Amino acid sequence: MNNEIIKENETVNEDSLFRIVGNDAVASEKIIAPRYSYSRSVLRVFFRKKSNYFLISLFLIVMLTAFIIPSFCHYDEYENVTDASSFNLSPAAAIAKYGFSFKYLLGTGSTGNSISYGIFASARTSLSLAIICAAINMTVGIIVGAIWGYSKKFDQIMIVIYNIIANVPYLLLISVLVYIIGSGFWPFVFALTITGWLSIAYFFRTQVMIIRDREYSLASKCLGTPINRIVTKNLLPFLVSVIVTILATELPSYISSEVFLTYIGIGLSANIPSLGRMISVAQTAFMTYPWTFWPPVSISAIITIVLYLLGQNLADATDPRTHM
Amino acid sequence: MKKYMLKRILFSIFSLLVVVMVVMFLVYTCIHRDVIFQTDDMWNKKSNNERTIYEYNQYQKYGYCTYVDYAMFVKNKYVEKVGEGYDKDDGYKADIQAIQDPETYMENETVKEFYEEYSSKSGCEVKYYEPVRYNNGRLQKGGKAYLIAVTERNVFFRLWDYIKNFFSVETTDMVQDEELTDRYVRFEKDPYSGLFAIVGSGTHHKYLLYFDGRFPFIHQNWIHINLGTSYTTYRDQEITTVINNPTGDIKATLQQYPTMIGTDQYEETAIDFHSLTYNTGTLSEDELAKFPDKYTVYSYNRGGLSIIENSFVIGLIATILQYIIGLPLGILIARKKDGLADKIGNAYIIFIMSVPSLAYIFMFAALMTKAFGLPYKFANAEVKWMAYILPTISLALPSIGSTMKWMRRYMIDQMNSDYVKFARAEGLSEREIYRIHISRNALIPLVHGIPGNIILCLTGAIITERVYSVPGVGNLLTTALNAHDNGVIVACTVFYTSLSILSIILGDVLLAKYDPRISLSDEGGGGR
Repeated sequence: MNNEIIKENETVNEDSLFRIVGNDAVASEKIIAPRYSYSRSVLRVFFRKKSNYFLISLFLIVMLTAFIIPSFCHYDEYENVTDASSFNLSPAAAIAKYGFSFKYLLGTGSTGNSISYGIFASARTSLSLAIICAAINMTVGIIVGAIWGYSKKFDQIMIVIYNIIANVPYLLLISVLVYIIGSGFWPFVFALTITGWLSIAYFFRTQVMIIRDREYSLASKCLGTPINRIVTKNLLPFLVSVIVTILATELPSYISSEVFLTYIGIGLSANIPSLGRMISVAQTAFMTYPWTFWPPVSISAIITIVLYLLGQNLADATDPRTHM
Repeated sequence: MKKYMLKRILFSIFSLLVVVMVVMFLVYTCIHRDVIFQTDDMWNKKSNNERTIYEYNQYQKYGYCTYVDYAMFVKNKYVEKVGEGYDKDDGYKADIQAIQDPETYMENETVKEFYEEYSSKSGCEVKYYEPVRYNNGRLQKGGKAYLIAVTERNVFFRLWDYIKNFFSVETTDMVQDEELTDRYVRFEKDPYSGLFAIVGSGTHHKYLLYFDGRFPFIHQNWIHINLGTSYTTYRDQEITTVINNPTGDIKATLQQYPTMIGTDQYEETAIDFHSLTYNTGTLSEDELAKFPDKYTVYSYNRGGLSIIENSFVIGLIATILQYIIGLPLGILIARKKDGLADKIGNAYIIFIMSVPSLAYIFMFAALMTKAFGLPYKFANAEVKWMAYILPTISLALPSIGSTMKWMRRYMIDQMNSDYVKFARAEGLSEREIYRIHISRNALIPLVHGIPGNIILCLTGAIITERVYSVPGVGNLLTTALNAHDNGVIVACTVFYTSLSILSIILGDVLLAKYDPRISLSDEGGGGR
């Protein structure tokens, strides 16, 4: 069969198939593929989705209000505690009593505290807690995880440590730490971060291992690429989206943990306004005085939903596979 | 495979021990021990030396240290020497009084003996508390002098003691009673169940293995696991008893006492005859008439479920719902990717993930009680099974969301695989491709979590149980932490840790069974 084709080809004159185009020195320097910039592509993909503009503005509003309003409007949970007639006032009753003001727009809580001031002061605590804890846990977790995934010797030691620490009940560890070092803001950050990085490091280790052993990475290693180039060019582009995905789930999870831990009585101390405390104080009254319960719940829901969606969209945008 | 499993189990036991040690260190050493007096009225009432002694008493009770009081030492000495009427003995009175004088107490013979005996022991410290007097020489309230020997326990001894007491097997020489000569363990016909039972004599319990109508129908008193003893939250009860005892009302039925068997006499009683234990004291007339032997100590039959059963029932139904609803929905929204169903599904997933669980449980409870009139608080339910509906559903909702999320993710990851293209090229219908090819492969990562989800139902759900006031095990640890109930904290650690280790091992085994490509041991398989 092959012979037949060759025989047929022999009859065709070769000159009719090819022609000389010459050597264009300028054109040979041009690259046909469009210029690719990673950061610009990320932004392009991110802002292609119109809902992101809305999410970003919502996020900025939440951040600004949570960090600016409390510095103008000082929140004191016990400022009206001596006046029993100010307890649990509905928004209408509070405005009737104090006159129309931003302070009493959402009514008062169980100690006559202003709900609207309370939710912003609490949001500030919860947001700072989430941001600080995420920053610490992510930094430590990713650095340790990267070494853990890359070095096989380190892996053997870390796996034993991980298996042991991961078995200590999380609740137990945090509450014991809170008892030992107190329940202020920084001790609570310490309690949440002392083992919090471990799960991130473990997750990241697996991701590094998967990419480390991919064919292209092995080939690159065989060709003698230095380790810093392997890390920055082979591993990082894939891992950026993983890192952002972790961030998207981590940030809201600290707000939920704070709410949960404060509810069961081992969270922040009573003098720090926090969403968890507001919700746990209001939870017994959520049927009778719903205005004390819903504002902190909705603000925590808004914060977590916005953070989660933004993080997810950013994670999609940072994945190089979506840049085509 | 066997070698691998053995290695795995040994390592698990090792890490369990380390975890228990870490927790014991945290609980006993790191938390300042004074915190246990924060809410103690007795402590507030006492003053001076009496308060110190009370503190040591409590420390001993909570397992921090052991101490010996000089008064007990003198008492033991004279009981040995004189016998019953020791407290009338002059020597006894003089020895007890000796420590009240801080200048001369060291000259007393018995005090010297006390010092000799305890100061030589390692880790033991003899402490003398001088009498506290007013300026006029009168004793202050609680100012009596005390002499005690305190032994602090370190974490290794504590762990060793714990392991030593963890398992106990009943043997025929357990009962120390000279009257009991006939000691045996044998099969007997059980008059209460109609089947056979293993009955012991000389053992602590009479019935070692028996059947009855309660789930799981076969019960044993032979091997006893002592997880730890509660000090504050459940007043000196063992945790295994606390979590296993039914919580309902005492339930009396027509039953026969052991001596009535064979006759047609019946009596209305709530005694659980399978729980009989040996009575070392003397029997009353009534007991002699009703029981043929000295196994006369009993507990009562109670209705309802135990707290661990409550948690398990709720958790198990929620887990079943999670899989039978979550998996098909996950497949559905993956098939209709970017369609309406996917959008609704994603909205639900994001809602469940982002709203604090506390908040949506309240929302859900409020909605359901208003809409369907379902009982909100567990105890308020008129029909018992109705009380389980709300906790079960609110426990299932988030897990359905997360199952959906992962199933969708894995389905979409598989959808572009070569085998799917091949199946399409073969002309299989989309339905077949999704149901048979993709979903089976997408299930692989989810299979690993199934045993864990079922087993960890035994640890209960903290928020759900609190919100609906379900008597369950979920809040065992949190209440113990707030009450500084060290025994319960350690018991919970052991319980939770062993369950989670077990569920990870079972998950791995199930995964290897479900997907033959996965091999657990080093030999074979594609792993590195």
